Amino acid sequence: MDNKEIILDVENLNTTFISDRKKIRIVKNVSFQLKRGTALAVVGESGCGKSVTMNSIMRFLGKNAIVEADKIQYNALRDGKVTEYRLENIEKPHGPEMRALRGPEMSMVFQDPMSSLNPVYKVGDQVAEGLLQHNKGMTKAQAREKVLEMFRKLGIPDPEERIDCYPHQFSGGMKQRVVIAIAMICNPELIICDEPTTALDVTIQAQIMELLKEMQLKDGKSIILITHNMGLVAEMADEVCVMYMGRVVEFGSLEDVFDHTSHPYTQALLRSVPVLGLADGQKLETIPGATPNPADLKGGCEFADRCPYATDACREKDIPMFQLSPGHRVRCLRYSEYPVVGSGEAEVAEVQ
Amino acid sequence: MLKFILKKLAMMIPMLLVISLIVFVGLRSTGIDPITFMVPPEVQSQSPEIVDQLREELGLNDPLIVQYVRWLGDILHGDLGLTNKGESVADIIATRLPYTLELSAYAMLFSAVIGIGIGIISAIRQNGIVDYIGRVLAVLGQAVPQFLVGIVLIWIFSIKLGIFPAANRVSPDATNAFVDAFMHLFLPVLTLTIGMVAVLMRYARNTMLDVLNSDYIKTARSKGIPEWKVYMKHGFRNAMKPVLVILMYRIPALIGGSVVIESVFSYPGIGTTMANAVTSMDYNLVLVITLIIAAVMLICSFMVDVFNALLDPRVRLGE
Amino acid sequence: MSETKTLSIKEQNKSAASSLMKKNIRKFLRNKLAVFGLVVIVIMTVACVAGMILGVDYSTPNPTIMRAAPDAAHIFGTDTIGRDLFARVLYGGCYSIFIGVFCAVLSSVVGAILGAIAGYFGRWVDAVIVRISEIFLAFPQLVLVMMLVAILNKRSMGNMLFVFVVTGWMTTFRMVRNEFMSLKGETYVKVCEAFGMSRANVMFKQILPNVMTPIIVSTTTNVAYFILQEAALSFIGLGVADSTPTWGNILNAAKSIQVVQNQWWIWVFPGLAISLFVLAINFFGDGLRDVLDAKQQ
Repeated sequence: MDNKEIILDVENLNTTFISDRKKIRIVKNVSFQLKRGTALAVVGESGCGKSVTMNSIMRFLGKNAIVEADKIQYNALRDGKVTEYRLENIEKPHGPEMRALRGPEMSMVFQDPMSSLNPVYKVGDQVAEGLLQHNKGMTKAQAREKVLEMFRKLGIPDPEERIDCYPHQFSGGMKQRVVIAIAMICNPELIICDEPTTALDVTIQAQIMELLKEMQLKDGKSIILITHNMGLVAEMADEVCVMYMGRVVEFGSLEDVFDHTSHPYTQALLRSVPVLGLADGQKLETIPGATPNPADLKGGCEFADRCPYATDACREKDIPMFQLSPGHRVRCLRYSEYPVVGSGEAEVAEVQ
Repeated sequence: MLKFILKKLAMMIPMLLVISLIVFVGLRSTGIDPITFMVPPEVQSQSPEIVDQLREELGLNDPLIVQYVRWLGDILHGDLGLTNKGESVADIIATRLPYTLELSAYAMLFSAVIGIGIGIISAIRQNGIVDYIGRVLAVLGQAVPQFLVGIVLIWIFSIKLGIFPAANRVSPDATNAFVDAFMHLFLPVLTLTIGMVAVLMRYARNTMLDVLNSDYIKTARSKGIPEWKVYMKHGFRNAMKPVLVILMYRIPALIGGSVVIESVFSYPGIGTTMANAVTSMDYNLVLVITLIIAAVMLICSFMVDVFNALLDPRVRLGE
Repeated sequence: MSETKTLSIKEQNKSAASSLMKKNIRKFLRNKLAVFGLVVIVIMTVACVAGMILGVDYSTPNPTIMRAAPDAAHIFGTDTIGRDLFARVLYGGCYSIFIGVFCAVLSSVVGAILGAIAGYFGRWVDAVIVRISEIFLAFPQLVLVMMLVAILNKRSMGNMLFVFVVTGWMTTFRMVRNEFMSLKGETYVKVCEAFGMSRANVMFKQILPNVMTPIIVSTTTNVAYFILQEAALSFIGLGVADSTPTWGNILNAAKSIQVVQNQWWIWVFPGLAISLFVLAINFFGDGLRDVLDAKQQ
C-alpha cells in the first residue's frame, strides 16, 4: 500500500500522563493504519485510551501529557499529489504547522455537543471562524454563504434564521450538526468522531450516523469513529480496532473482527451487546471484574485477570501482536503459533 | 435589552426604600435625642418648655413612620438636613463624596486591569513565573491587613523616600491640580489596589483555568485558529462573566476598605466623615451617608447586570 | 443472621472511616504549608493564652520608659504611654483570636440554621430570608458595622461580637441553602420523610452532615476574616473599648504619623502578629479544603 491509499499511519504511539508527580502510561504502543475513504471504528470500554489516542494524534492534550511515537504520518492528497506530514515531529502542539492541518486536512467531532459550542457566539460565526482562518481574503458574506450551504447539506432547518442563533437555542441533535458543520466547513479529508452520538437521543443518533456515512461514501472522506456501541460499529465501519487498557488488542476488517472474533476481550465485548429478541432464559453476558486502574498495572496482558483462558504465561511479559490473516492482528498468546507482526516494539522506559 | 434595563432599574427603588426605612428606624430607636445636640445643656435644664416646643415643631413626637415619610419627602426635595453642628449635610456630601468616588474608582479600575490581567496570564502560563509570583502575592495580600499595607507604604514612600505626601487630598500651595491629585491619590489607590488585586487575581486565574479546560476551547483549537484567538476570543470572553460577578461582590469590600484607608491617609472622603459621624453620634449624617453608599452599591450591581447581559446571550435573550 | 450482618456492615463502615481518616491525615501532613499553618496557629495561641494565664502586665503605664525601643527588658519595646508591647501583643492575641473564633463559629451556626431552613422549606420562607441576606450583602460590611455601632451606641466587646455575627452569616447561609436545595430532592431524604421523621430531624441529622465539610472549611477561613475586620474597626477607633488590648487596638496608635515615623516597633510587631496568624489560618484552611473536598479526591 502506498501513501495514496493510506491517509493516516500511526506506529508505536505512547502517551504518558504526569499526575501528582507520577507517570501513568495511558496509551501503549498503539499502531494502526487508516485507508483513504474508509471508516475505522475504535472500540473499547470507557477509559481504555480511545479518546486519548485520537487527541494525541491531533495534539490536543495538555502540558501534563507526553506523546511519543515512531511515526504519526498524515498523507495529504491534493490534485493527485501526496504530501507527507510527520505529526510526531511537530514541536508546538498549537503552533502554525499543526494549525494549518486542523480544519482543512483533519478535524474532530467531539462527544458532547452541549459543551462543545462556545455559549457566547452565534453558531454561524463559530462555523465561519475556521473558514475565515484558512481562506485569507474571503469576505464575511462569502463565508456566510458557505455556512448556509453547509447547514442545508447537514439538514438544519431554516438555515437563514438559525445561522444567527446562539447555541442555547438549539436542541442537542441540532447542536451536534453544528459541531459537525464546524468540523466539515474547511472540507477536511480526515474526520475523527469521538463518540459523536453518546450524548444524544437514540433517534437522533441514527440521523447523525447516516450523515457521517454519507460523507464517507459520497465525498470520500476518511472517518475514525470512536465508540463503545457495537451496533454502530457493525453499521459504519470498514475496519475495527479494539482497544483495552491503552493497547490495541485486536485489529482487522469488520468481517475479521465480528465473524472471526479472536481476542477473548473482543469476544466478551460482542457477547455483552444486547440484541433485540433475546431468547427466553438467554442471559446477557457481562465481562467479569472491572477495568484495572492504569496506575496499578503490572507486566503482562492487561486482560489476564478477567480472561477465562488466562495462563501464567499471560502475566509474565508483554504480549506481542500475532497476525492471523493479512490485516487481522490479535494480541493474545492463544495465537502464538501465528507470525508476530510489528517491527520490534520500542519499549518505553517502564514507569511506576 | 431596554426592557431588561428598565426592569433592573425598577427593582432598585423598593430596595432603597427598605434600606432607608430600616436605617431610619434603627437610628431613631437608639434612644438618643437629637435635641440634645441642638439646644445647649443649660437651656435644656432651665426651660424645658422650649425643648418641648422645638420637639413639636420638628415633629419628633409624631409616630416614627410619619417622621420617616416626612424625612423621605425632604430628601426627595433635595433637603438633606443639618448636622449636629448645624452644617448643611448636602454641602459636606458635595465636597467629600467626589473624593471617595475618585479613590474607589481608580482602585477599582487598576485592580480590575492588573488583577484580571495577571490572573489570565497565570492561567495561560500555568506554573510559570507570573503564576508563581502572583500566587505568593495573593497569599500575602490576603493576610496583611489593608491599613497596615497603607502604613508600610507611608513609611517607605512618604517618610523614608519622601516622594508622596502621607495625608490629605489637596495641598494648599499646589500649582498644578493634576499633579497634586496624582501625588495625593497614588498611595491610597495603591493600597486599595493591592488588597483587591490579591483576590481578583486568584479568582480570575481559577475561572480562566476552568474555561480553558472546557470543550469549546478544544473545538476552537480544532479550527486551527491562532492561540491568542483561542485565549482572548473564546477563553477570556467566557471567563469575564464570573469575574465581573466577583468584582461586584468586591465593591462592598472596596468601599469598606476605603473607609479604613481614608483614615490611614487622613483622606477627607466620605469614609472618614462617616467614622467621625458615628463617634460624634451625628445621626442625620450617618443616615444620609448610608443611603448614598447603598445607592452606589445598587448602581454598581445594576451595571454588572448590564455587562453580564452584554456578555452572555442567555441572559440577554431572557431565557 | 441479620444481626451479625448489620454488625459486620457497621464494623466495615467503621474500619473504612478510620482508614479514610488515616488517609486524610497523611494527605494533610504531606501539605507542607498546611502543616506550617497549623504549627504557627498552635504556637501563637498557646503563647497568648500562656501570657494571659501567667498574668503579664499589659496595662500599667510607665512614664519613665515611654516609646522605648526594643531591648532586653521589653523585647517589643513600649508604647506611647510606656506599656510593655510584648505583653500587650500576647494579651491582644487572646482577645483577637477569641473574637475571630467566636464570631466565625457563631456566624456559621446562624448561617447554617437559616440556610437549612431556607433551603429545606423553600417558597416564601426562602424568598424572605434570601432577600434579607441580599440587603445585608449589598452593604459594605464595615459600613454596616459602623451603623450598628452607632445604633448600639456603646463600644464594648459584647456589642462587637453581636455586630460581627449579625453581619457575617451570609456566606455560610448561601452555601448551606444551595446545598439543601439540591439535597432535598435526593431519594434518601424522601425515604426519611416517608418514615415520618420530624422535619428538624431530617434537616439537621440527615441533610446537614453532608454540608459539614464546606462549613468547616469556611469557618476556618472566616476566623482570619473576623480578625482582620476587628483590626480594621479598632484601627479607625470603632472597635472594642480602648482599655481592651486587641491587635487592632494596639495598632490604633499607628494612626499618628509620628508613631509611624519614629516608633516602628509599635506598629511592626502587632502588624506582624496579625499577618502571621491570618497567613497561618489561610494555609491551614486551604490544606483542610484539599483534604476534605470530596470533589478533588
